[in-house]
Amino acid sequence: MKIWASEHIFNHPWETVTKAAMQKYPNPMNPGVFGVDVLDRSVDTEGRLHSTRLLSTEWGLPAMAKSLIGVTRTCTYVQEHSVVDPREKSFELKSTNISFTNLVSVDEKLTYKPHPQDPEKTVLTQEALISVKGISLSSYLEGLMAKTISTNAGKGREAMEWVIRRLNTEIEELAATARGTLRAPMAAAVTDK
Amino acid sequence: MNSVGEACTDLKRDYDQCFNRWFADKFLKGDRSGDPCTETFREYQRCVQKAIREKDIPVDGVEFMGPNKDKPES
Repeated sequence: MKIWASEHIFNHPWETVTKAAMQKYPNPMNPGVFGVDVLDRSVDTEGRLHSTRLLSTEWGLPAMAKSLIGVTRTCTYVQEHSVVDPREKSFELKSTNISFTNLVSVDEKLTYKPHPQDPEKTVLTQEALISVKGISLSSYLEGLMAKTISTNAGKGREAMEWVIRRLNTEIEELAATARGTLRAPMAAAVTDK
Repeated sequence: MNSVGEACTDLKRDYDQCFNRWFADKFLKGDRSGDPCTETFREYQRCVQKAIREKDIPVDGVEFMGPNKDKPES
């Protein structure tokens, strides 16, 4: 079993990061995720939003690895359960693979919270528990997977920045359009006088 | 972003648009008024659940990060 953990600080407030995290896919840094579906969603009695989602991923397995583990399809499904607490300002996501469970178990947990000293920043703590089953190379493969998770975590953070930029651009474009539509009639009113 | 069920992608987009707007403008701002997306969600769900059954995707009843957890084999 391999445990991997990391912490990262985003220079954006918690609401911005949470909105982006909710719309993380698609993004150019994680091209392997090709489908995201919401299976269930509800608000509990304490006002927290619970969501269960299914992530469909396709990843490039080298041919040798394919023959080693005896699979031809590389489509992997991940089930994720998340909770957003708008009062406590926390967004926690837990995910686990539901494909190839006889071979491997990858559990991930991500928590986004405002930075304790700076409300304009957000702290992401991320943990993964990796377990490869039943073969003698397990600790080596677990190490390899931990490295992949670490690399993907870096891409995931870049992806978050990308989504945040995209959302901000959309807001600016909306504002510019609103200003443009106000300016035309005002200009017309002035020239009409 | 696509849905796991190709036929569901448009329904998913409609639901996502509704949800993202409600999430940003209401939910995160502490507005506890009702969810305007229940109808679009229901339609989208009907489609997705069907796709999941057809593709035999082993969803359901999974526990996260339990050391003694036994995942159903797939």
